[in-house]
Amino acid sequence: MAAPELLSDEGYRADGRRPAELRKVRARMGVFAQADGSAYIEQGNTKALAVVYGPHEMRGSRSKALPDRALVNCQYSMATFSTGERRRRPHGDRQAGELALHLKQTFEAAILTHLYPRSQIDIYVQILQADGGNYCACVNAATLAVMDAGIPMRDYVCACSAGLAEDTPLADRSPEEAAGGPRLVLALLPASGQIALLQLSARLHQERLEAALEAAGQACRALHAVLDRVVRDRLREVTALLGD
Amino acid sequence: MATAFKTVEPLEYYRRFLKENCRPDGRELGSITTADGSALVKLGNTTVICGIKAELAAPAVDSANKGYIVPNVELPSLCSTRFRSGPPGEEAQAASQFIADVIENSQMIAKEDLCIANGKLAWVLYCDIICLDYDGNILDASAFALLAALKNVQLPSVTINEETGLSEVNLKQKNPLIIRKHPVATSFAIFDDTLLIVDPTAEEEDLATGTVTIVTDDEDRLCSVHKPGGSPLTGAKLQDCITRAITRHKEVKKLIDKVIKSIKPK
Repeated sequence: MAAPELLSDEGYRADGRRPAELRKVRARMGVFAQADGSAYIEQGNTKALAVVYGPHEMRGSRSKALPDRALVNCQYSMATFSTGERRRRPHGDRQAGELALHLKQTFEAAILTHLYPRSQIDIYVQILQADGGNYCACVNAATLAVMDAGIPMRDYVCACSAGLAEDTPLADRSPEEAAGGPRLVLALLPASGQIALLQLSARLHQERLEAALEAAGQACRALHAVLDRVVRDRLREVTALLGD
Repeated sequence: MATAFKTVEPLEYYRRFLKENCRPDGRELGSITTADGSALVKLGNTTVICGIKAELAAPAVDSANKGYIVPNVELPSLCSTRFRSGPPGEEAQAASQFIADVIENSQMIAKEDLCIANGKLAWVLYCDIICLDYDGNILDASAFALLAALKNVQLPSVTINEETGLSEVNLKQKNPLIIRKHPVATSFAIFDDTLLIVDPTAEEEDLATGTVTIVTDDEDRLCSVHKPGGSPLTGAKLQDCITRAITRHKEVKKLIDKVIKSIKPK
């Protein structure tokens, strides 16, 4: 089976983007009234919603409360109409559980949990339309939602996926490109350059890792610029309403 | 004094948006292209999204010329702190049953229309209603979202190849669903056995001593009255509710028509 043509002769990808180009990002914060923090992000056709409740008292078993920091509880869910084929189980399946765990671990690295001992922070992520880069869209939406809730973080958490076409690294893989070549998912804290999560699937020669990692890092930093602008615009909006 | 608070007109009191599901420029939530039909409804703060997916299946043996409509209302933990994660709670199940009843009682879609080949092939419409922000009156919002999403559904035409007996789906040719009736639900919260508040918020629902939901359809006809226990209501009050529900139906229908017309064809 011939691998699909990832990069045309002129250097364009299947959807007309350049190798380092990200899909269009649109984000909004503070979309819901009930939640402490909420955000909605669209990356290309992938639409993700993140909702944060907390920090609040531990629900359920008090014995699980950590004496020196807050517990971060994540739930990842895909709407039944989010994929081409109807999903039978929106949550509770293995993939959702794994992604929820990854989210939890990523945000435990970023949120200053030592400020809220014995409490719980809930992060719920819902995918309304899945079109590649689900985990990345979730992380980005969750970052904005945690900011909207006013929970202090070490830094933004920006996530992006990358792939390789021959020797050219591709940033922000779309689902058509997902089939060929190695896949890399990176969640980065941009200011310090620290990696919160790194996942690599398929075989890759270790010499190529540097290039792919660099491409993903660049993409994360570009995303950071976009998200930062969204947060500042939102702050301006909110203070304009409160001021005068 | 009591009459002043008696019923609150929805238009003056609450902002109500029926957001369209086709957004050409950066507005809030766009259309869901993986779903065959979608709609987002905001009733004050309560936000509900409905996605419809159509699949093919064989019809049941005893009703060979009928398709299926399967509604499901989900109240995930993200919409409010009152819902825990896990299997659907009572409220979600009751809401799902309510929507199923509305579809059945109002005959909004004739199941015969969903049949493609008698006894062999029919459409199954999975209507998934997800509440994104819970601030009371989930039944009204779910019913509106369902109606708007169904009006938005485009089903590809399916033919059965005579020789092979297999179905051929033509994705290029799409037809909208035939919606025969447009049921609209109106909910009221009962306070102290006498005061009625229309379109209650979550706080009001918690304080209320009972609720009534009235579903009306196009020709000022009653589809169903749902009064699950709660404080007793006199016949006159109930009649009053029904009259108000009929008025509200006209307003909502106008809003839905306006929104559907403004959608650009795909």
